Amino acid sequence: MEAQVIIKDITKTFILSKKQQKIERVNNKHKVAVNGLSFEAYKGEIYGLLGPNGAGKTTALRCISTLIKPDSGDIIVNGHSVMTDPEKVRESIGFLTSDLKLEAFFTPNYLFDYFAHLRGIDENIIQTRKKQLFEKLGIDRFAEVKVGELSTGMCQKVQIAISLLHDPAVIVFDEPTNGLDVLTAKVVTDYLTELKNAGKTIIISTHIFSVVEKICDRVGIIINGKLLLAKTIGEVGGTEANLENQFFDLVASESEEA
Amino acid sequence: MKNIWTIFKKEWDRVIKDKRLLFSVMILPGLMIFLIYTFMGTAMSSLNADKPGNIAIVNPTSAFADIYTPDEGEIIDNVITIDSTEIDTYKDLVDAGEWDLIIDFPEDLETGLVDGYQETLEIYLNGNETQSQIIYQTYRGYLDEYSEALSYQLYNDTTVLVFVIDSMTVDNNKIIGALMASLLPMLVVMFLFSGAMSIGPESIAGEKERGTMATLLVTPVKRSQIAMGKVASLGVLSLLSAISSFIGIILSFPKLFGEDIDFTSIYGFGEYAMILGLLFSTVFVIVGVISVVSAYAKNLKEAGTLITPIYLLTIVIGISSMFGEGANTSWWLYLLPIYNTVQTLIAILTFDSNITLYMMITIFSNLVFTALLILLLNRMFNSEKIMFSK
Ligand SMILES: Nc1ncnc2c1ncn2[C@@H]1O[C@H](COP(=O)(O)OP(=O)(O)OP(=O)(O)O)[C@@H](O)[C@H]1O
Ligand SMILES: [Mg+2]
Repeated sequence: MEAQVIIKDITKTFILSKKQQKIERVNNKHKVAVNGLSFEAYKGEIYGLLGPNGAGKTTALRCISTLIKPDSGDIIVNGHSVMTDPEKVRESIGFLTSDLKLEAFFTPNYLFDYFAHLRGIDENIIQTRKKQLFEKLGIDRFAEVKVGELSTGMCQKVQIAISLLHDPAVIVFDEPTNGLDVLTAKVVTDYLTELKNAGKTIIISTHIFSVVEKICDRVGIIINGKLLLAKTIGEVGGTEANLENQFFDLVASESEEA
Repeated sequence: MKNIWTIFKKEWDRVIKDKRLLFSVMILPGLMIFLIYTFMGTAMSSLNADKPGNIAIVNPTSAFADIYTPDEGEIIDNVITIDSTEIDTYKDLVDAGEWDLIIDFPEDLETGLVDGYQETLEIYLNGNETQSQIIYQTYRGYLDEYSEALSYQLYNDTTVLVFVIDSMTVDNNKIIGALMASLLPMLVVMFLFSGAMSIGPESIAGEKERGTMATLLVTPVKRSQIAMGKVASLGVLSLLSAISSFIGIILSFPKLFGEDIDFTSIYGFGEYAMILGLLFSTVFVIVGVISVVSAYAKNLKEAGTLITPIYLLTIVIGISSMFGEGANTSWWLYLLPIYNTVQTLIAILTFDSNITLYMMITIFSNLVFTALLILLLNRMFNSEKIMFSK
């Protein structure tokens, strides 16, 4: 199998402000969010990054999407390094995370065209892609409603549509079903499976076991910025309960160490 | 280039398609300026004697009436004749501020003079009332004239000394030009800055705070193109906002300075084109500064706090135009942004002969500063510390 995303021993340390130190209840100025993380994601699979709050999932995914740079290590996406060639990486990635927002004033239709133009896509391709994605995700009826007036779920779906408008080879979704009702969540997970079958490389993060068990091919468990386990769903045991047990064991042994 | 245009267009739509924003950025500034200055003008002119006065005269003479009777188009005072027994009643009115002036001529003044008497006339006014004083000054002038006429009749001789007042013909344009040069530069700089301030922080600090900037930053668009697109659109929008204020002030000039000062026609196409070119080059420096500060700020509120002192500084620079005679003649001072705009504007408004030189240095300097600011903004957009600080 072809590794399309290669994460090579990345580390990311944040410097905390006084205020943040208070919020996090630590006296340390430095927070190691990702600590020597390595894994690979293959073409035609969904890789699930599973971890508790503050484990470093979002930080790792932001590094992959070039929004932030790792302090050390490297990430190769579709053959391009995030350190030396971030623009090429951005061309091949569709990224979704909760802190990427859409301007409330504009409509999904307007924003889709805007970002498609910025990615240099031809006008007629834009229109067919838009029709296809909006139909698939059920946005079509809301295409002319301002983003600010959309429900959370609809807004999330518009964000998904916009992150995928350039038909990226690599899809990186941070908690894609967070805050969605079961119906909407299913639309999203079904679509991710469809994209996987179309040969995309997909990395998602989540703290929900059932999501991993249902759609992921492999799972990596991340705690305190370190990858503690990487297995296929088959190896884990294939059920939600098995996954949960192994997760709790890892959490227990990690906190003993600390 | 295409990306710069796409970003320009979005920023433009953000303002133009939002009726509330459009109103507050494009119409409100001009409207406010117009209302404020019209109000100021009205208040000022009502202070300045334009009100008709109330004058009571005892024993009026027709020769005096000929003097004070207004020409056509002048303000007609309310002049009445009273009997000497009514004087005390009118004095009370004057004391109460309800009447302006009493002139008490002696009975049969003119025949008395011919008969060789020295006559006295009494004037009563209220020194605490501006209006009463103004009317007194005016009528004092008429009385002097009357007195001169009377002495001419008596002695065929008015004065020993005769004045002949002569001067070069007044060049009205020069006077208006100097007036404009002392007033407009500060206002123009203020308008440009406040226009940019009403949209710049929102478009950069606001987008950063709300996370919409991050969505833009995950696209492969070059950061320099984002910087240029934003600065270009903010520049054009700020300029339009400033022009709105400018129209507001021009429309309020007749109220502010009186109808006879026609500011618009003393300047020709050349001056207007230069003013527009000057403003166009200046607005990008201002927008550049506001953008850099907004990108540095953690949120919209902090951006506002950081920009305010810069705004005050530019106003102080603008005020410098009120002192000094004409445009500064040291060419190197035209390298300083904002100051160069103020001075070049003075040069344009006063028809300075060195204007071409000043204009060229100013535009050159503004271009260089704009380029540097865009470069800096590009650096900031590339910095994760600045763009994603929490
Ligand atoms: N910009 C930042 N500055 C300072 N600290 C940060 C920053 N971003 C993340 N952190 C810290 O790094 C750690 C990892 O955060 P991260 O968001 O990656 O966790 P996560 O696994 O996504 O958690 P969650 O499930 O809550 O989303 C946390 O302790 C967080 O507070
Ligand atoms: Mg997260």
